[in-house]
This record gives sequence, structure tokens and C-alpha cells, in this order.
Amino acid sequence: MSGDGSGSGSTVALVTGGYDHTIKLWQAHSGVCLRTMQHPDSQVNGLEISPTGQMVAACGYQHIRMYDLASANPDPVVNFEGITKNVSRVGFQKNDQWMYTGGEDWTARIWDPRAAPQFRCTKIFQVQAPVNAVMLHPDQSQIMVGDQSGIIHMWDLSTDQNEQLIPEAEASIQDIAIDPEGKMMAAVNNKGNCYVWSLGGSAPHPVPLKHIVAHSKYALRCKFSLDSTMLVTTSGDCSAKVWRTSDWTLLRELRNDTQRWVWDAAFSIDSRYLFTGSSDSYARLWDVEKGTLEREYCGHQKAITALAFRDQAV
Amino acid sequence: MATYDNKIWLLKNIRDAFIATDDTGLCEIVMAGEDFSKVFQNKAIEEKKRIREGRLMQPGPSKHKDGMGDISEEEIGKEIVTQFDPYPDMDDSEDDDPLCGSYVRYEDLGGYRPRSNTAQWLDKKEQALKKAAKIKVIKWEDSSLTADQLNEMFSKFEVKKPEKQKSLLAEQLQNCPNLPYRQYLEYAKFDGTAQLGLPTKSFKIFMTMLPEKHQAYPLVVCVIASAKIKDLIGFTCYKYSIEHPDISLESVHDYGLCIAEDDGEVDWAFPCLDANEPCSKFGFTCLGLVELKSKSAMAQPPSSIPEDGMSGAFHVFSKVTDSGQSHQNPSRHNTGGSSTSEAVLSALKALNEGGDADTGKMQSHILATEAPQYKAYKVYLQRKVRSNTCVQLGISLYRIEIEPLVTNKHAFWSRSKYFLHSIDSVAWCQILETRGTRTTFRIVYSPNHNAVYHERNNAGNSTMFHQNAIFKLHDFECDHDMAKEIVEKVNTILDLRNSPCRREYKTAKEKKLQTRRSFHTKHLS
Repeated sequence: MSGDGSGSGSTVALVTGGYDHTIKLWQAHSGVCLRTMQHPDSQVNGLEISPTGQMVAACGYQHIRMYDLASANPDPVVNFEGITKNVSRVGFQKNDQWMYTGGEDWTARIWDPRAAPQFRCTKIFQVQAPVNAVMLHPDQSQIMVGDQSGIIHMWDLSTDQNEQLIPEAEASIQDIAIDPEGKMMAAVNNKGNCYVWSLGGSAPHPVPLKHIVAHSKYALRCKFSLDSTMLVTTSGDCSAKVWRTSDWTLLRELRNDTQRWVWDAAFSIDSRYLFTGSSDSYARLWDVEKGTLEREYCGHQKAITALAFRDQAV
Repeated sequence: MATYDNKIWLLKNIRDAFIATDDTGLCEIVMAGEDFSKVFQNKAIEEKKRIREGRLMQPGPSKHKDGMGDISEEEIGKEIVTQFDPYPDMDDSEDDDPLCGSYVRYEDLGGYRPRSNTAQWLDKKEQALKKAAKIKVIKWEDSSLTADQLNEMFSKFEVKKPEKQKSLLAEQLQNCPNLPYRQYLEYAKFDGTAQLGLPTKSFKIFMTMLPEKHQAYPLVVCVIASAKIKDLIGFTCYKYSIEHPDISLESVHDYGLCIAEDDGEVDWAFPCLDANEPCSKFGFTCLGLVELKSKSAMAQPPSSIPEDGMSGAFHVFSKVTDSGQSHQNPSRHNTGGSSTSEAVLSALKALNEGGDADTGKMQSHILATEAPQYKAYKVYLQRKVRSNTCVQLGISLYRIEIEPLVTNKHAFWSRSKYFLHSIDSVAWCQILETRGTRTTFRIVYSPNHNAVYHERNNAGNSTMFHQNAIFKLHDFECDHDMAKEIVEKVNTILDLRNSPCRREYKTAKEKKLQTRRSFHTKHLS
């Protein structure tokens, strides 16, 4: 993406969405809202910026939509139809060949928005409970599907085989993360627990690595930093916690008692900064090294439930 | 039109109409607690009670006379009609409660004829269709790709360890350490420019509290309609500080919003809009952001320049002579010098300390720097025997000039004389009184000190003092604002010059004050 479009203004893009049916694009360094896009009829459950940086995909109740970040168009440019329930997560294959989603219709799906209809590739993976989390393995061949019943399904895309992991009984999987090197997988559940497995070792299956009692309440998201040294977990206990992946100790607790639930988080490319979005309708930028609050992003009328950040290497 | 028989309903509607259409909100304040429709209703209830009690006291025959027979107590009550009743013939049911519904609807007063629901619906439909045409729709369909194609699609990538990268965000954050708008951040959420389904309201805000060069264009802000005036102030500060990060603004609590004209002229006669009212309540689109401090200062009656504490600071000016200086632009000689600006500064200081300390510094600064410049005003010269004549009063650092604006040259009796006073012969200037829209002010001068200027006529001017100097006066009449401006201007110049004539007059006045206090309190205080 050239990034000089009137809308985004720079190749660094912070996008937030939430209960107020809008998606906002921010100038990350200044905290100024550049654009507001309409997401009618639904809250925003998940946001993801496409690998080219041109588009942002948003998923919500009965809707998956794509917005052009480079233009000033407040309306979506692509609308995915045929969904009856909430879509909880959306993501892209790294070459932008296809898109994947997971939702409360008990499925994970592969979409191919670019091709002509007759060449369109679709794939569906059915589970026995609403899907809360989907995460694509960095090797692009596997999708981890976490559901309400607490099962993680490792869906192999080329063979359609799947393997199951059940970290904790009677706890729903809320989010799954895999580090960019593909060596660790983390999952958080509604009890506030975080489970970590090592992947891609000599053993063919994930090997349990660590169980962290991360939060006292509902955990909502987990994400690895780009350098794989940190894992952030966010929760309904008003905090986001950053854990060292070397010894799984707590590096930083990013707490603000007014922010209520912390719904989503994203690291900068140098793993120094972390964005969080929370129920008080603010997004925040934290300096993870110093533990300080650097910026606040105010403009949403209601809770921010999803955010996506795209950084640029210099 | 039967409904208009209802007195209470009408009263209620007139009241509502006043409140709804009065954008200043003053009607509501004035009428608060005086809802006559309610008063009438209460009176009706009382009256009914009284009459009913009176009837029940009377013996039976009176009832029979009315042909009512055996009726219950309630029926009696129902039948009683008082002069305060809204609907003589109607039962009091919930639906027909005259107070429950009012004809006036706030949203209907936009000035446009409301369009029919169908037309609006059709419009919406058309817009939705137009929008939809631009959106690419992807339906969920089962794939028809071959296994090979699928394999290609989902081939495995080799995972490389990501390189350590420098972040553009980190760089941008470093280059952008100061965010003046951050203090107003909480107001950012009132931005109405991109809201879905929320009513919004746009305003032109003139930043009248800023120096004049920043006031040329109003700031157009759009907020959600439910935002309160204080939120609008906060959002205005937020937006302005984003666009002009170099200009620092005060706390939002120091500002108020006043009604303004299209050209940014603030109407000082009205109070600031109530900060806790939603902005949707007000119909104005042009507002002026004012400092609350200067607003309260503006609302006060003009205070005269303090009399003492001024001498000594301006000795530099008493040396200045006015010979050979151009009449048009005398101010040139008195600007730029460091001693001058020092004197102006100390004058400002004295001004601020002595009298109205609340007057904004900027205001007095403008006053002090502009005062020496020549300016002409059209005022009326008051005369004792004849009617007032329209004159042009020219004031500069060196002279005061009174030039009659004669309309009828043949009417010699109405002709006024031309006066030219050296500023050093002018001793005093003050506002005398305000009557209605007219204000009279007085300029006292001494012909003795007017050596260089020939006074052609002294008729019509009364002599005030008979000591060393003779003091005479002119009384003028004009509107209040202009009088205030003139008096301020003349006094600033007089204070700058501090001529012997002025000092003499002050001394004489003090003496008078001691001996004839009553005269002075009436005349000069």
C-alpha cells in the first residue's frame, strides 16, 4: 500500500471498532481520528487489516465487511452474505489469497473474495459449539479453532483432518494465539486461565508447556509480540497483562480502573508499544518497556471491542 | 377547531411555542414557575371543591329544582363547572387530559415543511440502493475447485524467524511529543461528523477570545445533538488545538458560548448559553467563544480611568510637542520607541491595578495602542438653547476637533461652530449619564491652554471654574458603546500626555471636592 491516500495518511494504521456500530481509523502517533466508517446493524467482534494494508475486514452479527482504508469511503466495499449468526473472528492468509472466519454458527470458514465466482474457493469446518476463536498457523496450513465447549480443533486445511485439545473442562476458549515463529501456541478461557503449548518440536503434537492463572475474571484475548518474547492477555478485570515467554513471569500489568473490560490488544512491530481497546470507549497506547500510558484514542460512543494495528518497518 | 375552546390547552400551547421558538432560552427562564395552565387547573379543582361543599350543605329541594334527582356525590362534582375549567362538557379521562399533549413539536420547527413519510421512505430506499450498488457482494457458495487447485491454495509455507525491525510508529511518536489537544481529548467523542443514526448539529464558532488575526474565519464544528454546551466548548477547543497546535487555549471552564452574528460580532447583551443545556435546544448556528472573565467585564458599566497613580510614568510624553506633525497620522511618532512601549506597559499596569482588574489585558493593550490614532465619530453636540446638532468629533493624539455636519446652510440659527482644541488644553472626559439608548458624555477644556489654536466662538459653553484657568465644556450625546469608546480613547490619550492643564483641573477638582462635596458627587462622580 502506498499509504498516501487521503484516508489513512500514513502506512501506520490503527483501526478500532465496537458497540457503537462504527469503525474508526486513527493517526496512531497523534491520537487524532482520521475517519469513521459505518458498520450498520451490528457491533464489531473482530478486525483485521489485510496483508497489503489496503483493506480492513470487520466481522459482527450476520456480517463480514471489508473497508477500503486508502479511500475516504465510509461504507464497506465488500459485503459477505449468507451468515446467520455472530462472526467472532476474521483473518487473512499472508499472501492475501483467502480469508478465514469463525462464528457462532458452529463453523470456521475459508473465503476467497478476490476470485471470480466460478473459481472461488470455499471451505467449511463444522464443530459442535459456537466458535469463539480462529487462528491461522504461520505456515498457513492449519487453523486453530477454539469453541465454546472448551475444545481447540487443529484443522489441517489441505487434508481436512483435525486434532483436538481440551485444556480445561467446562471453560470456553476465548482466544488462541500462535507466535510468529510458530513455536508456541497460547489459549485463554473464560476462567481467566492461559494455557501454552510448544509447537513444531520433535513431537508431532502440541506439548503442554505452561499453565498461567492470568486473570481472576474472564480472559478475552491473547497475542504474541512479533519478536515472540512477550504474550499479552486481556481480561474483564480492567487489565492487560504482558508475560515474558522466557520464563512465563509477569512483565507488566497495564491497568486502568476506569477502562473496565479490555477487549483487544495489538503490539507494534518493534514489540515496544501495545495498543489496547476497552469498554470505556477508549483505545490506549502503552509503552511496554516503561509501563507508561502514551496515548489515548477517544471518539467512540460505546465500548471498543476490537482493534487492528498495522505498523511499518523503517 | 373545537379544541381551541380549551383555555388551558391554548395557554399551554402558547407557553410551549414561546419556549420552543425562543432560541435564547430566556423565555423559559422568565416563565419558569408560572405555568398558568397548571395554575388554572389547580384553581378549578379548588373552586369545584368549594362549590361542591356549598351544594352539599344546601337541603334537598334545590337539587330537585335542578332536575337532577338522586345523584351521587361524584356526579355533583362532575356537573360543577367553574370559570377555571378547561373543558366544560368533558370528562377527565387520561386521553383527553389537556395538559398531556401539546400541539407544538420541537422537531417540527426546523423551518422546512416536513415531508411525507412515504417520500422519506422512498428517498431512503433510493439512497440505500445507490449505496448497495457500490458494494461488492460475496455469497457463500460451495467450492467447485479440484483437489490440485485446493492443494495449491493451502500449501505449506516455511516459517521464518521474523527479523528485528524498527517501528515507524515509534519514530512518529518520538517526533510528536507535544499534544496540546490532549487536555480536551475527552470531548473528542462528541464529534458528530461521522455518526450513524445519531442526530448531529453544526455550528460556526468564532474564537473571539483570541487575538484578532486568528478570528478571520469561524471554526465549523459538528457535534452530536445530545452534547451539552460545555461539551461543545470542549470539542471546539479540541478541534481548534488540533488545527492550530501553536496557539494555546485555556481550560474549557474559562470559556463560554455567546450568540454571535454571521460576521462574528458577539452579542454581549445576552448571557452566555447555559453550559449544562444540550446544544440541540438552541437554534443558533453562529456562536462566539468568549472568555468568561472578559464577558463579565463587558457586562459591567464602564469605569472611568483612575485619576491618580498615573503621573510620573509618562513624563516622556509631556516633552513631546505637536509642531510640524502631520494631522493624519500622528501616531507614527509615538510607536516603536522602547521608552514608549515601556510607558505603555506601565500605563497598562496602572490601568489594571487601579480600576477594573478584570478587564482583559488584551483589551487594554488594544486600547492603549489604538488610542493615539486619529478617529472620527458622528455624535450630537448638546446645546443649551437650540436643538442638538450633529457633529463630527475627531480625536487624535494632538487635537480634538468638532466639525458641524450642516445639512441646511441657509438656516443660520441651527448652524454650529467649528472647534479645534489642542489635546493639551483638554482636561477631562467622562460619561455623564445614560438615558435609554443615548449616553451623554462631557469633554472639559481650558481656552487658556489653547494658545496655538484660535477659538472662534465660546458661546453656548458654560464656565465652570474661575481660578487660575478657565474651564469650559462640551456635552455630547451618542449611543452607549460609542460614548464608552470615545471616553476611553480620550482618557487614554489624556493620561499619556498628562498635560499641565489636566493636572491643574485635577487639583482644582480636588479642592472643589473638599469644599463643595455635594456639587461634585452630583456632577463628577
